[in-house]
Amino acid sequence: MTRRLSRETLIKWAPLLVLLALVIFFTALNPTFFSLRNFARIAIASAPALMVAVGVTFIIVMGSIDLSMEGTISLTAVAFAFIFAQFGGSLGGMGWIAIPLVLVLGGAIGLLNGIVHVKLRIPSFMASLAMGFVGTGAAILLTGGDIVKVSDAAFRGLLTVRWLGFPLMVYIAAFFLFVAWFIQTHTTLGRNFYAVGGGEDLAHASGLNVTRVRVTGFALAGVFYAIAAILVVARIGQAESVTGSNFMFVSITSVVVGGVALWGGIGGVWNALVGVLIVGVIDNGMVVIGLPDFVQDGVLGLLVIVAVVLSTDRKMVSFVK
Amino acid sequence: MDIQRLKPHLPWITLVVLVAIVGFTDPGFLRPSNLLGLAGDIVPLFIMALGLTFAIYIGGIDLSAQSMANMVTVIASVYLASMGAWVAVFCVAAGFLLGMLSGYVTTRLFVPSFISTLAIGGVAFSIAQWLSGQRALNMDAVQRNETFGWMIGRTWGVPHELLIAAVLVAICLFIERRTTLGRALKAVGAGELAAAASGLNVARYKILAFAISGALAAIAGLLFAVKLSGGAPTIANGFLLPAIVAVLVGGTPLTGGVGGVVNTVVGTLIVAVIRASMLYFEIDATRQQMVFGIVLIVAIALTIDRAKLRTVK
Repeated sequence: MTRRLSRETLIKWAPLLVLLALVIFFTALNPTFFSLRNFARIAIASAPALMVAVGVTFIIVMGSIDLSMEGTISLTAVAFAFIFAQFGGSLGGMGWIAIPLVLVLGGAIGLLNGIVHVKLRIPSFMASLAMGFVGTGAAILLTGGDIVKVSDAAFRGLLTVRWLGFPLMVYIAAFFLFVAWFIQTHTTLGRNFYAVGGGEDLAHASGLNVTRVRVTGFALAGVFYAIAAILVVARIGQAESVTGSNFMFVSITSVVVGGVALWGGIGGVWNALVGVLIVGVIDNGMVVIGLPDFVQDGVLGLLVIVAVVLSTDRKMVSFVK
Repeated sequence: MDIQRLKPHLPWITLVVLVAIVGFTDPGFLRPSNLLGLAGDIVPLFIMALGLTFAIYIGGIDLSAQSMANMVTVIASVYLASMGAWVAVFCVAAGFLLGMLSGYVTTRLFVPSFISTLAIGGVAFSIAQWLSGQRALNMDAVQRNETFGWMIGRTWGVPHELLIAAVLVAICLFIERRTTLGRALKAVGAGELAAAASGLNVARYKILAFAISGALAAIAGLLFAVKLSGGAPTIANGFLLPAIVAVLVGGTPLTGGVGGVVNTVVGTLIVAVIRASMLYFEIDATRQQMVFGIVLIVAIALTIDRAKLRTVK
């Protein structure tokens, strides 16, 4: 019993310790790492990734997985750019309408994901991967391969207007992190995610509509991907069919490294935050200490394996596919 | 249930119907030279799909195939000058070893294969970027023709790629039908727990399946690099989706156990015909990805063995 307890405690705190160790490590190698300017840089890079990670956290807590984020982000980013331009191309005018519309679109894509997964009874990783391809395809179709610029000063203010050294988009990401935390801890839906992840049969037997919880989870994730898409567009000032590329790898890595167990039921949005920061610090730190940036994917890949290994209780798992 | 009896025959019926539809609307499509050219062009994709077949046959998945092929195009371009023909051995060995690593992580460390292969894919991508210096590389034309020119010519109108594909199919068929390894893979795919209970060293065979998948992805990358006379860390992007589609529409379900090499041959031909017909019906190339994404969902839904999935996660 004590062994189990200590193991759980370790798993719970290990990600945070890793994060602290990384910060100390990079600061020791290059003191400029530990500065407000650099933290702001990490925060800007991490804000969209955080939204994606939070979205997929809900899914992973349910024991499923969502690999559709690249397609969903590309499609919603492109859709946002087009709708924004359609309504005058300025946040001061009618352009703000694009924001709720795109959030609804993200939710709808997620809903479709969930329905394909649940109704056709296809494992979620494959259903969402396929839907992700469809999303990217739709984004290519909309843009014809072109880049759509969004240069409205008020909208780009999300990046340019700073408050205590951090741009507005960081605060927006923080706000939605709290919304996610609220959903996770203070709503029936949040409890239901854990119920499904902890044991689907049991949840079903206690009268929970598991199908509905799953589909809602995917829709909720879709909304968060759409928020991420808007933040990405604000950061780089353009949208195209590859806007979402690499988010799959980074967000899954973050969530898993942050301590959300792939088997479901364990972890939450705070783990996603710690995970995103670990990935962000590694990305940034490698550049700061002068390592080429292409090492990241390899390092993150190994990190994922280590994280999954650490979070898996071997006695509970008989075999994996 | 008629549909159940029909199911194993659906892939080739689909193929015949598709060929008939396209051939009927465009008689030029059925010219032998056109068909041969079409088949020749799809060979790198086919080889990757062939490898994926092994991973999917045992109920896993290999999402690293594309990154592996990318990495090999870079390795081949960088080391052709210094290693000559031995670079081919080096490439295949690299694919085999990285595949083994995926298999090891999956079976011994209990990491689900879609995550472990995604992670190993990240490693392969890093290696490709490191070796290439994040640039597109070109092979020396003379040296390429001397060393690997035999891979891409034509003899009596038959593209050499097709001969390579035929040899690989023969080898894979032999493994599947005539070796203990093939039997063991079938047992693992049909029911892993039962296979383990009957004393099979499941982990070893699964590792081998992923290694074969990696090696074939490497061969696909090598052929692709020779065809394009160069390599880059993202050059083979766009292969993974059609390769998975080829395996699944061929009739090897995501749950494994049935299907196999011959199914993937049929599946790849279906993908080739869909591609060609999209060109003919003037469906924009930009829509291909959407079409294949939807085809993928339909194919999985039709083939997956739901009796094996107690809960669908």
